[in-house]
Amino acid sequence: MEKPFILHMFTSEKNLSPFDVNMALDAGWISTIPYTNVEIGEVQALVQDTIFSRSPSGLKRTGIFIGGRSALTAVEMLRVAKQSMFAPFELCMLADPSGAFTTAAAMVALVESKLKKHHNTTLEGKSVLIMGGTGPVGQIAAVLSANAGARTRIVGRQLEKSRSVAETCNREFGGGKIHIEGDADANKPTLIQTADVVMATGAAGIQLLSAELIAAAPLLKVAADVNAVPPSGIAGLDPHHDGTPLAGSQSGAVSLGALAIGNVKYQTQHILLERMRNQLLDGGKPLFLGFEEAFAVAREYLKGR
Amino acid sequence: MEKRSILHMLDPMPHNSPFDINMAVDAGFDLIIPYNNVKLEEITGLVQDAIFSRGPTGVKRTAIFVGGRDIGIAMEIMEAAKKAMVPPFEVSIFADPSGAFTTAAALVACIEKQLQEKHGIGLEGCRSVVFGGTGPVGIATGVIASLNGADVTIVDHISIDNALEKATEYNHRCDASLKATFASSDADKARLISNADVVFCTAKAGIQVLSASILADARQLKVAGDVNAVPPLGIEGIRRSHFGAPLIHATGCNGAVGVGAFAVGDIKYQLQNKLLAEMLSTETPVYLDFRDAFQRARALLK
Repeated sequence: MEKPFILHMFTSEKNLSPFDVNMALDAGWISTIPYTNVEIGEVQALVQDTIFSRSPSGLKRTGIFIGGRSALTAVEMLRVAKQSMFAPFELCMLADPSGAFTTAAAMVALVESKLKKHHNTTLEGKSVLIMGGTGPVGQIAAVLSANAGARTRIVGRQLEKSRSVAETCNREFGGGKIHIEGDADANKPTLIQTADVVMATGAAGIQLLSAELIAAAPLLKVAADVNAVPPSGIAGLDPHHDGTPLAGSQSGAVSLGALAIGNVKYQTQHILLERMRNQLLDGGKPLFLGFEEAFAVAREYLKGR
Repeated sequence: MEKRSILHMLDPMPHNSPFDINMAVDAGFDLIIPYNNVKLEEITGLVQDAIFSRGPTGVKRTAIFVGGRDIGIAMEIMEAAKKAMVPPFEVSIFADPSGAFTTAAALVACIEKQLQEKHGIGLEGCRSVVFGGTGPVGIATGVIASLNGADVTIVDHISIDNALEKATEYNHRCDASLKATFASSDADKARLISNADVVFCTAKAGIQVLSASILADARQLKVAGDVNAVPPLGIEGIRRSHFGAPLIHATGCNGAVGVGAFAVGDIKYQLQNKLLAEMLSTETPVYLDFRDAFQRARALLK
């Protein structure tokens, strides 16, 4: 009998996300094992304990998922986990803390596709505002936008916090090659004058872009919002919007709502979980999947849709 | 439809061991449920909750695994769990904290087999020294050897107090007759092995405990076994795959042989699989600890 698929799921929080557990089981993993309150210092021992009780052929049916809430912690855990492997005792891993990697990947890939479809352009050189952007989704959306060549700003309530988050993103996620800036909500009336893209990634139920600001945005092309709970983060935006003209825009902007983004996020996470389950059985090399890989998958998925 | 099999895995530590979880899945359990940071006073509640919800046929498809890092705590948990059973609502339990019971059982059984094959004797009366003797594998090794008639000394690498404390504790818990000492210098170690028949090395991974020059002081050594799989290995001259190969550095002994970590590990792996599977196949509940592990290890080696 073939060995069952086991996914060892690590989180630095007190609980796993039931969302991720459902996703893993629906992607064909048979046993999903939770490890909670995991600290970075414990990752090496857990990984080595995982790899030494199944032969290399058994490890083809074994994976590690890294959840949690912090993008930085998850990226570090993924790095430590990868370094803890010994050939030929290797397996595939996926990090997606708070679903942030797949959510941000889906949003930025969709923004890109709407820019192409409605404005025949790309993210290269565009001015992107990530509003309510100091959380994990905002951080990764900013990094993916910056990686795609956009001039990116994380905008939050407190200037200091926005700046320090932007610096962390540049250093830890961009390898020093990107230059995201931090800015304050209070400066939105000025920032909106030159914005091509707005992504709202704030807490549910808080409006981040008002109708007045939309009307005052001469260059706005795409506005996206990951908040599915009314009121939406962007005035006039409905969670179902998927390239719908944004009400009140003087510049022909289109809107992207949480359900449109959520659908692509769901597909992206599903594909990643399936890919890591099949990769070694198909003779491939171990995969260490983070936000960059999630973005590549989201782009690929949108091309094929 | 037959009920799915469930293994409730109780662990006093913050995390269950992924090693044991893989083993349990591969032994055929359909569902693995981890419980961590489990305290002794919670055992009765957890066990009774596990036995009362599935009916008398369901209990045959339900079992409990006790993990953790400390064998004393694991034995106490096992004892409390046993007491919590209410026949016919009773399930099987297997304790293997840190993998120590299966590793020690495999080690002692491998050594016993070599004693019989190469020297025609059993463990009975053999002067045995356990280096790294105060860790979980070392204690379990000492206890198993002692209960099977060997004259066992457990050795701590620094502290005589720790060694004496552990020997007293486990003699009391397990009816064993462990002696204890410490050995920090090469001279201490050489003195200890000069009249030993058997040496068990269960010290920390990646540390050489017995060098060639220490081994040269052995006079009646018959078999030495090492569970350290990370170089440098615990006993110079024993390779990981050795299973009865000549112990070349024991120049003062006649026909001494060695057993390495992979040989022990292979038996440990089969043993843990067998014990887990036994909880699924048994008609009446079983309570498996180091004693059962040793008995099954002997059978595996026959």
